[in-house]
Amino acid sequence: MDYLIHIGVLICISGILALSLNLVVGETGLVSVAHAAFYGIGAYVAALLLTKVGLNFFLAALVGMAFSGFAALAIGAVLARFKGDFYVLVSLGFNMIIYSIMVNWQSVTNGPLGISAIPRPAIFGYVFGTTGPYFLLAAIALALTYYFCVLLTQSSFGRVLHGIREDEEATSVFGYRTTHYKVLIYMISAMLAGLAGALFASYITFIDPSSFVISASIFILAIVILGGLSSHRGVVLGAAILIALPEALRFVGFPSEIAAQMRQLTYGLILILLMLYRPQGLLGKFKL
Amino acid sequence: MELAVQIGLNAVIAGAIYALVALGFNLIYSTARFFDVGYGALAVVGGYTMLYVYKTLELPFALAIVLAVTFAGALGWVIERFVYRPLRSQKASPTVLLVASIGVLTVVQATVAILFTSEFKTLSRDVGATRVFEIFGGVITEVQVIILFVALAIMSTLGLVLKYTLFGKAIRAIADDEEVARIVGIPSRRLIGIVFFIGSAIGAVAGIAVGFDTGLQPTVGLALLLGGVIAAIIGGVGNIWGGVAGAFLLAIIENVGVWTFSGEWKSTVAFAVLILVLLFKPRGLFEK
Repeated sequence: MDYLIHIGVLICISGILALSLNLVVGETGLVSVAHAAFYGIGAYVAALLLTKVGLNFFLAALVGMAFSGFAALAIGAVLARFKGDFYVLVSLGFNMIIYSIMVNWQSVTNGPLGISAIPRPAIFGYVFGTTGPYFLLAAIALALTYYFCVLLTQSSFGRVLHGIREDEEATSVFGYRTTHYKVLIYMISAMLAGLAGALFASYITFIDPSSFVISASIFILAIVILGGLSSHRGVVLGAAILIALPEALRFVGFPSEIAAQMRQLTYGLILILLMLYRPQGLLGKFKL
Repeated sequence: MELAVQIGLNAVIAGAIYALVALGFNLIYSTARFFDVGYGALAVVGGYTMLYVYKTLELPFALAIVLAVTFAGALGWVIERFVYRPLRSQKASPTVLLVASIGVLTVVQATVAILFTSEFKTLSRDVGATRVFEIFGGVITEVQVIILFVALAIMSTLGLVLKYTLFGKAIRAIADDEEVARIVGIPSRRLIGIVFFIGSAIGAVAGIAVGFDTGLQPTVGLALLLGGVIAAIIGGVGNIWGGVAGAFLLAIIENVGVWTFSGEWKSTVAFAVLILVLLFKPRGLFEK
């Protein structure tokens, strides 16, 4: 039972990541492969504040989100100048740069050894120590993110994003400063990823740079594409499928090293097959 | 002085390897018109096939090279036939092809890791016995000299083939405009298949060179590819000689950067160069 709840927590965290990446890839049509970087910034900032400063989790998560947002402001402003393939490539590059900062800035991040003994969240003396209550916390965060994303896409702001996705030039002719919208949605998306990072850090209680490599960004992108671009319900479904499916491999009895690679193999195959036969994903409303 | 010579020598070797990757990448990009990320994995396939036939089966060197290069080329052809060609006939956007090729990279990388584990492996049969040459106080190994000459030979052969043979003219016609090329009777589908074979084979040579020079890991493909792609972009995408010049330029900047900062920041330096070039010279330094 505890194991199932553990899977549930992971689905919630991936769900938040997928919902936030969908805002950029699905709603605005910008294929960014750097989400793990913002996820990582949120996780590292929150983890450092929790372990070194002893700040309350909820404050630490907010500061982590702010740092992710600032990083996205800088990166998004550069990215907004690119289109199509170059956008993908430069976003990959930023992921690589953030990752090497995590590995090499050892005095702060402790390098490849990572940060351990991150405390679980606590509020008014109550600690979310076991998996059960933690699942509740993660589910509330997922629900809030979901509701926020729905509101955002239904607003006039969301309509401009769709306009950029369908025809950026036409949207700018109507007087919308598309660059501002693109940078802003990138920041919002990164801040939500930062929230997921803070939850991840305090749930696993240990983080190291290997969770925030490019292949983690590809994994999040695979969730969004599988679930369906521009469909909030779809991407949460995608997260549930892509987290739960490889767990089944565990019961086949592969050794852990092989099981991890089998998981990668599954993600890659899913991407290829989706592109060939259903580029809009399961519930998607938009094709790349 | 000696330091400068050594940095120069290191840059020449790294540049030769990047130039090979950039060459294959440019060839594929100019005919198929998308960023083939999966190409990086084929370089790794070349390296690991060499590992198998040369170190495990202990076949003679020349035969092993031919087998490894042919195998990687054939795999490139098969991937084009069953993934990219159907996508192209569906008129899929370059982004869809790019996402599919990310899938290819993930699948191939995971398969290699399952078959050969993720451990670091070198191709040399007798480590330490390699001859070392001294040039103006700098050191260069025999393997590196061979790599350099092989790279130069492949580059000039490809250059001559593209320029003077009927095949080369057909390829250049497809690069100009595939539809028109088909109208005048060029079998563009078959030729694109052949281009994937040749491109992947050149990538495989780069993979084997890395395996002899430093060593192999399943994830080395992405790093190699990014080096090649960055070189290609610096030189102007699709411009074959620009890519070669870009490769040596990138290698020089990287090696000077590594000497100024430290080895861990190599990929960061490479991406910083890429982003700067794209911001200020978006069509490459050697635009035609």
